[in-house]
Parts: sequence; C-alpha cells; structure tokens
Amino acid sequence: MKSLTRSALVLAAALAAGQALAATRGGQLVYGRYADSLFLDPVLNDANLDIWILTNLYDTLLQPTTDGKGVQAGLASSYTTAKDGKSMVLTLRPGLKFADGSALTAADVKWSLDRARNPEAGAWNSSLASISSIVASGNKVTLNLKQPDPTLPAALATFNAAIMPQKLFTAAPGKNDAEKAKAFAEKPVGSGPFVLSEWKRGSYMVMKRNPYYWKKGDDGKALPYLDSVRFEIIPDDNTRILKLQAGELQGAEFIPLSRVAELKKAPNINMTLFPSTKVNSILMNNRPKLNDGTVNPLSDVNVRQALNYAANKDALIQVVTYGTGKLMKSYMSSTTPLFDAKQPGFPYDLAKAKALMAASKFKDGFEVTVLATSGSADDLALLTALQQMWGAIGVKLKIEQLDAATKTARYRANDFQMRTAAWTNDINDPSQITSYYTLFDNIESVHTGFKSAEIDKLFAQSQQELNPAKRAAQYQQIQSIYLKAAPIVYLYETPYPVALSNKVKGFVQIPLGNNIFAGAYLDK
Amino acid sequence: MHANYVIKRLLQIIPTFLAVMLVVFLLVRLLPGDPASAILGDRATEEVVERTNRALGLDKPLPVQFGIFVGNLLQGNLGDSISLKVPVLRLILERLPTTLFLTAYAAVLGVLMAVPLAVLAAVRRNTWVDALIRGVFQVGLSLPVFYVALQLLTLLGARLGWFPIGGYGEGFTGHLYHLFLPALTLGLNLAAILVRTLRNSVIEVLGAEYVEFARAKGLRGRVILGRHVLRNALIATVTLLGLNIGALIGGAVITETVFAIPGVGRLMVDAIFGRDYPVIQGLTLTFAVIVSVVFLITDLIHARLDPRAELS
Repeated sequence: MKSLTRSALVLAAALAAGQALAATRGGQLVYGRYADSLFLDPVLNDANLDIWILTNLYDTLLQPTTDGKGVQAGLASSYTTAKDGKSMVLTLRPGLKFADGSALTAADVKWSLDRARNPEAGAWNSSLASISSIVASGNKVTLNLKQPDPTLPAALATFNAAIMPQKLFTAAPGKNDAEKAKAFAEKPVGSGPFVLSEWKRGSYMVMKRNPYYWKKGDDGKALPYLDSVRFEIIPDDNTRILKLQAGELQGAEFIPLSRVAELKKAPNINMTLFPSTKVNSILMNNRPKLNDGTVNPLSDVNVRQALNYAANKDALIQVVTYGTGKLMKSYMSSTTPLFDAKQPGFPYDLAKAKALMAASKFKDGFEVTVLATSGSADDLALLTALQQMWGAIGVKLKIEQLDAATKTARYRANDFQMRTAAWTNDINDPSQITSYYTLFDNIESVHTGFKSAEIDKLFAQSQQELNPAKRAAQYQQIQSIYLKAAPIVYLYETPYPVALSNKVKGFVQIPLGNNIFAGAYLDK
Repeated sequence: MHANYVIKRLLQIIPTFLAVMLVVFLLVRLLPGDPASAILGDRATEEVVERTNRALGLDKPLPVQFGIFVGNLLQGNLGDSISLKVPVLRLILERLPTTLFLTAYAAVLGVLMAVPLAVLAAVRRNTWVDALIRGVFQVGLSLPVFYVALQLLTLLGARLGWFPIGGYGEGFTGHLYHLFLPALTLGLNLAAILVRTLRNSVIEVLGAEYVEFARAKGLRGRVILGRHVLRNALIATVTLLGLNIGALIGGAVITETVFAIPGVGRLMVDAIFGRDYPVIQGLTLTFAVIVSVVFLITDLIHARLDPRAELS
C-alpha cells in the first residue's frame, strides 16, 4: 500500500515535471469573447464582462484558489488575524512593482483599499465594510476591523480590492475620483500579469505581458508565459466557433451547450467545461398577494414544494443543458465554500408533488406566468418542458418573453409571479449569494419576498464567526431552512463551456468566472 | 447650380432633427427599465440603482433632462455613454466609417449584381432565364439575413477558406477582403429588391414609344439599351437605392453581429439592451443625418439623370 502511494507520488511528480518542461514561452493567444469589457476600473466597474478579466490587469493582496474553495497568497505573501478577530496584518512580498516599473508600496495598498471601501464608490464596497481603518507601515498593512469578519480574506482576493498605483491614478486628468477613473481606465496600469496595450472598443483588446510580474512559472522565471493575449469580440456564437475551427482563434468562450458534444469530438479542439458557481433556478414571488391585489398561489409553501418535486431535473438537464448540467441541491453551487453536500434538494417525485398540491389551498390547480428572457433558446426549452411537467399537477404555465432590461424593471417592481434567473458568485465565500437569496433586508431576497427570522439570525452570527466548523454548521442550517421553504425552483448548476485549440495549455476559468491567462501557454 | 435648393433642403432638416430628437428622447424613457439596473443587473440594491441614476442626472424632470441634452447638443456634445463611460461622439466617429464602408460596399455589389441581371431578365422576359433570375432572388429575399450570412461564412469562410471569418481588416484592401462576405450578404438582399423593380421598369421602357421610334430609326439593340433603357433604369436604381439606405443600415445591425464587425449597428443594439440613453440618442441623430443627406443626394442625382424632375 505504502509503496503504491509512493510510486503514485513519483509518477505525479514526473508528470508535473514533464509539464513544467513543456511550458513554452512567447507568442500571442487570440481569444474570442462574446462581448467587450465596459469599464476597466476595479472599484467602479459594473458587469461580469469587466470582472472576469480585471484580475489579469490588476492583482489583489490574496487570490482565489482555482478550485473555488478558498484563498491563496497574492501580493501579500502572508496574513495573520488577531486572536479577537478585530485586526488583520498583511505582509507584502519584497520588490513588488506595477507594470510601469514603479514600486508597489504599502501606501498604495492603503489608498486602494480606502477607495474600494468608500460607501459612495461603486456597487461592491460592502465586501470591505468591516474595515474601520487601515495603517500602512514598511511592508506591512494593518486592517483594523469594526467586528471579526470571516469573509475578509475572500474579500481581499476579490477584484474590487485590487491594488492600484496611487500616483498614476491621482495624476490622471479629472476633477474627482469618478473622472480620474474614467481617464485611468482607458490605459490602466496595475500589477497583474498583463497590462493593457491596445483597446479598440467593440472590436479587440490586446494585453501585453507585464515584465515586472512577481509570480514565477514552473521554469523559475517570471510569469506570464505568453507575450500577449488578444481578445476578439465576436457576439455571434456560431461565428466564434467557426473562427476557432478555422484557426483564427485559439480559444472561444460561451460555447452554446447544444454544441459541446460536437466540439468534444473535434480532433484539434479541447472542449473544456470549467466548473462554475453558476446556479440556474426559477425565482418565485412568495408574497401573499400580487401587485394587482389578487391572491398569489405561490405564497403557499405546499405549492412551491410541489412545483419543485414535479420538475424532473434529470430530464431538464438533458433537454436544456445537453447533459452538461448538474443537479442543484442548495441555493448555492457545489463549488461554493460551505456548500452542504448532504442537502437532499428536490428529487423528482410526482406522487409527492400531487399530494402536496392536494394539501394546498389550490387543489384544483392554477395558472401562473413566468418571465423569460426573449431570444434565449435555453429559457424557452426549459419553460416549455416545465409546462408539460407542471401540467401534470394542474399548474398551467404561461410564458412571457421580455428583453433583459424590461424583465429587470418588472421584478424590481415586484410585478411578476415567476422568472428565470441565474447567479454566479464574485467572491470565494458563501456570504454574497446568501445575503442576496435569503435576506429580505438586502433586496427582498432577490425580490422573491422571502423572509426568515431564523436565517437572518444565523446569517448575522455567521458573518462574525471565526471558527470554521461553527460557521459551516450555521450555513448548513441556513441551506436546510431555505430548502424547506422552497422560495425558488431548484434547477441545475451549469459549467463554463470554453473551446480551446489543442495547443493551449494552462488556461483556467475559475468557478467565479475569472479568466486566468497568467499560466497559459501555446504548445509549439 | 442648385445651391438655393440645397440650402433650403438643409434648413428644412433642422426642425426634422429636433422632432426626431424629441421623439427618441421620450421613447427611450418610455421603455421599461432604467440604465442603472440594466447595467448593474439583478443584484444591485435600490440604493445603488438610485445613486447611479442620480449620478447620471436621470432623477431630474424630463423637460430639464431634454433641455440639458439639447444644450449639450448645440455645443457639439452628445454626452458620455452610460455603460462604456466614454464620449458618445467618439464612439460614433470610431465606428461609423466601418458601417458606411460596409453599406457602400454592399450597395456597389448589389447594383453590380442587380442591373445586368434585371436588364437580362427584361430582355429575355418570360423565358427560363427570366424565371431563373427572378426565382433565385425571390428565394434570396425570403431568407433571413442572418441565415444567408451564416451559410456564406460556413461555405466560403470555413469550408473553402477563401475569406476570413469576421473582423474587418486593416487598410482599404484589408477592408475590401474582410468585408466581402458581409457586403455580399447585404448586397444580395439589396439586389433582390432592386431586380424586381428594375426589371419592370426596363420592360416598361422597352415598350415605350421613344424606344419604338429609336428602333424604327434603325438603331441597334445594344445602343438602344445603353443610351435609352439603362439611363432610365439608372434613375429607378438611384431612387430605390436612396429609399433603401435605411434598410441597408438596418440590415447592417444583423450582419455586424454575425460577422463581428464593430460598426454603429452593433453599437445601437448594445445600447438599446443596456438602455444607454445617450448612445441611442446620438446614433438616432446620426442615422437621421445620414438618411436626410442620402435623400438629398438621391434627389440631386435624380435631377441630373432625369431633366423632367424639377428641383423646387
């Protein structure tokens, strides 16, 4: 047994070494994106289009691990939390530099985090809300906290806590922070593995390797391996795939799930399904009455559970995700830290669903309208399948297709019964999705109107609980309470489908969605 | 020559623009959804949405917003894009040349295909040649633009490798090469519209008295076609082309998406989905200017070709 383990280790080491030798340096990787970034400022950005590539340009003190489960060292080589949990000391690596060659100091760190936690700035400041003050001294940065905060390491590994060069930013033209950010974000300089060298909006973006990047590759020299990455903006899915097949691209994101099987068979293409934090569900209006004053059948927990049991997820996974999805058992994805693998979810059980309907106040069934995103083939496939499944328990589903902005406006006004929805985490911690999905005081539990005093209490405790086992227990309870209340229809988790040329090695899209090009290289 | 006429027409454009601006300004605000929540997505809190809308000046009463917009416009300022945070004018100037190039390219290809084929169909009217030409274009007209685009891409781009898939290349020859397939897509659509009308007008001209007269005089068929028929056919083409320029730009919206061309068509689609008011307004104004100018040029050319058309 022991010798077997040892030989396995030797083999693994040999494989790793082989890989290390194979990493080739240089070249340009051309990657097809479905849309362009909007605004490359870590604090004031708005969308995944920015978030998912910001970490290539700006580095953070800590970094999310590629499995989505925790954090690892970044610009800070280590950190310690005080016994009472009321402060945290981070030690910066020696000799850190920004992409222009200027030194990255503790003062830059203090300034960047102060900017990021300013409540007036951006949509993301709440992740750093526990910080009361920051002290920079030498290569050490001390964060003094209002209360213990178990989410802080993950927050410091998130895009909005990126470290920016104070001098360059303040030297940018503009009267205030927002104006300076506009100017700076046109030609951003950070300390990430790459630096923006060219950007033709809507067309392409080129990132060149940052020669001062601190992280070393397997060959002992500084990362990244690539000389540059070029993003081509190709909104049409088919065109992206054609361009990849023709060799004009070495990578293409957001491959339609319907084409995954076909591309898996293609000889020169490495069709990869990166695990994600994406959960797909149907959000229900849980309020007793709808906006027009009529009684809302979805306010009955029996009905909500019945709809969950009557949805045959295995069939939906085949129909909508072409088998690439995975059963959703908790409101958070299985790649989210503190996901409770023991959650039963709602396995398909038509008999149980019928019994629940019979026990509800709506025995004779009812008609319900769901808001879908127009033009989304996935939404339509999903909902027409559900129409059939729910028909079996006397629920008549009507589909209303709306463009995304109109859909958003409708549910913001609580003017909906059901709507399709997907979520991805921005931070390697369960607190973000939990605060949105389960807390009424945030945005009425993503406008479902769900409210649970028990969850509110557990969540508040978990936000200060430094004991990982205790925090995990709190999250287990939250997930159970939420599941029983069934404010949403649990559907499936879906991966990030990326098609790469066989030559591309070392590229990862982490569960949070960030595209990591630092360790990517092109095989010769 | 027609300087007075041109000046008068240009002056007439101004109230048209104001009306267009007012309508668009109100229409985009009547759409459900606001820019802040469109950009921020599902998870933004009310507070953040409100703060964002306030920062964009969208909390002010509509007349005030319109006043600010027109005031800025008079200073040549179209405002900043809400989602991209750069001046709208810059975005349009960056992307307009690409769309104009594509539109002109498509128009040229469309005319090059349509005119000879329409004349051929007319001359050989009611033969199999006529039926074939009309049939092919009838089918072409009924196929959706994105379908034709994808088929061309798959066949001539991916399978045969004759043309690049998407993008628009560097320099004039680069544009010609890269934009060939999208221009062909749009050109086919345009040719389908042109062929039908052109064929009819050629048949009409062929039966006209003066053509009979010319024939009686003993002029050869080719001369009649060149001197009399084509000249008249050209009048119809120019007018039709002018009228279809809006449709051509509309078609560019789809082709630009399929062929990954960063033109104003795609910018408009993104702006509408993102409720990016300043971009929508700026682009509408641009389209209005283009269409007005094209109509004016069409009228001028028409007058040149057809002395009967009076400019007044």
